Amino acid sequence: MYFAGVDIGSTMTKVVLIDESDNLLSTIKGPTGPEQRQLANEVMGQSLEQAGLRIDDISCIVATGYGRLNVPFADRQITELSCHSRGVYSLFPNVKTAIDIGGQDAKCMKINNGKLTNFVMNDKCAAGTGRFLEVTAATLGVRLEDMGDIALKATKKIQISNLCTIFAQQELVALLSRGEKLENIVAGLHDALASRVAALAKRLGIEPDLVLTGGVAKNNGIVMAMKESLGCELLVPEEPLLTGALGAAILAKEMYVKALAEGEVLPKESRRLEKATFFSEEQR
Amino acid sequence: MSDKNKGLSKVREIYLNRSQRAKELKAEGKTIMGYPCVYVPLEMLTALDLVPYQTCGDMREPVTEADRALPSSFCPVMRNCLDCALKNKNDFLDGMVTIHSCDPQEKTARVWESYTSYPYFHFIDMPITVRPEALEYFKSQLNDFRKTLETFTGRKLSEDKLESAVKFHNRQRALVRELYELTKPSPPGISGTEIIQVLKALTSLPVVEGNDLLTEVISEVKNRTSGLEKKPARLLIWSSILDNTDILQVFEAKANVVMNESCGGIRAYRSEVNFTADPLEGLADYYLNEITCARTFRQATLGEIRKDYARDLQSRFGYLKGIIREWKINGAIMLLVRYCDPFAFEMPSLKDYLDGIGVPSTYIEYDYTIGAMAPLRTRVEAFLETINQ
Repeated sequence: MYFAGVDIGSTMTKVVLIDESDNLLSTIKGPTGPEQRQLANEVMGQSLEQAGLRIDDISCIVATGYGRLNVPFADRQITELSCHSRGVYSLFPNVKTAIDIGGQDAKCMKINNGKLTNFVMNDKCAAGTGRFLEVTAATLGVRLEDMGDIALKATKKIQISNLCTIFAQQELVALLSRGEKLENIVAGLHDALASRVAALAKRLGIEPDLVLTGGVAKNNGIVMAMKESLGCELLVPEEPLLTGALGAAILAKEMYVKALAEGEVLPKESRRLEKATFFSEEQR
Repeated sequence: MSDKNKGLSKVREIYLNRSQRAKELKAEGKTIMGYPCVYVPLEMLTALDLVPYQTCGDMREPVTEADRALPSSFCPVMRNCLDCALKNKNDFLDGMVTIHSCDPQEKTARVWESYTSYPYFHFIDMPITVRPEALEYFKSQLNDFRKTLETFTGRKLSEDKLESAVKFHNRQRALVRELYELTKPSPPGISGTEIIQVLKALTSLPVVEGNDLLTEVISEVKNRTSGLEKKPARLLIWSSILDNTDILQVFEAKANVVMNESCGGIRAYRSEVNFTADPLEGLADYYLNEITCARTFRQATLGEIRKDYARDLQSRFGYLKGIIREWKINGAIMLLVRYCDPFAFEMPSLKDYLDGIGVPSTYIEYDYTIGAMAPLRTRVEAFLETINQ
């Protein structure tokens, strides 16, 4: 039996295929982008190809992330908060708290045996999210993926007082013209983001083990800064982008197995591997 | 089949075209008085045969005009209300009655007055605490309000008329409570979305017409043969204002909203005005003490050196316990309007109170636009996943 999790985030689309023993058969990551939003089926197609499977081989598919609603081939939609919780738990069985920093939001989750018990998310604002780093990297003229390594070379941290992404950009321009060193500014930016997210996590209450996921967790500078801001150890999965899709796949399996045990068969006939529309119901 | 001009069908039409009845009444020679907030004593308008009309914002309307008058980091509800006024959507009004329910209302009232030219404009300076001195002061303010109304209309606001108006408005409060009784069963007899439409229709009609409409709605709902869909959660929404169906539908996609404790919900209808020798006394007491908006400072005991937190929470939020029990609520959402300081500051204490009585809760912020429903939906669904597992 095979199961799939499809996580359509604001920035990246992720697909994970697993078998009934949670072995990974395929993982695909690709930019969501304005065009890709219409093309969840392509990413799914690639994933099936990689695993040598057809859509009908998949017993159950769970969609998650901001794009979860209109994935026409999904059997169920579950929020990314529950999916991350389940995914992180499968990698770190002692996890109690997880922080996920994605492209447009940051979320902190309390987890009990893989289940989401409480959460906080950032307000509707780019501060404390991956977008903050994207925008500031562009202003500084460096590649996003180099930001972490640049920060680690800093000799001091410049205090960035504006958490608003737009105002922070103006502040950066002023700092550059004052002759501040790039690495010190970048380190300051990482601190600003980390302290914002740490404040969110403290509102929820932190219990170890604490795990950091999301695209931003791939940035060493942020991991360092988060450890400092939180004052505790932080675990990072090898593939921090995939925990949502992984959790979705595991939840798909659990749902399917439970239904089987209760003598039900989850219907697959409504499944269509075709173009997804993205929140079309809101484009009134 | 339901008559198009009755009950919920009529409600839906009014909801989509709220000002129509006021404009008709205006054409018939009635005087229409706008008011922005449930703290304005409508009885005083009704008693003088003035038609109260609540000037609401429109979540679907992008704010453009209000930005020339107010900063954008300001209460989005007030910005939106003012924006509608500046776009001449309320130009059928003969007057506005504003009130110091919170600072954004007070500031907006001044801008509103200076940018518009209704024949009548009055500001009621409402105190912020429930102390006895505050009640006396509020009564004096209502007396001033009475005088300006008498001067404007050239009619006397007699105690008889006021008492009769209080009866009609109390009847409306009782009918709204009766309407909310219908959400007690599982599944509820009426959805939270429908109730918002009913209440929003009420605030655009003269009280007697509103009462007739409520009576029709209640009887229609009681005679419904097919029930609503039963959802796994029964929610309480606590908010400054939730008066829009677009946003409520996000909640009701996966839950039954059985109680809306906000200014778009039951808040202004939970109790009644007492008949007192001086009718203004009963009005002042009701509007100052009985409406549970976070703008009012309440404490368990005056003059304590160090307050007892549990008792303090009880005095501020105790009324919710009964609601939660009677409506069998299993989740509460604290829905904050962005920049609404009174409610934001109240939130941590309310969270403690709800934790104390074992009700799961979460807080969600919105900015009174329909622009970003996806983040709202994620937060609501994630919360429901935590309580439904």
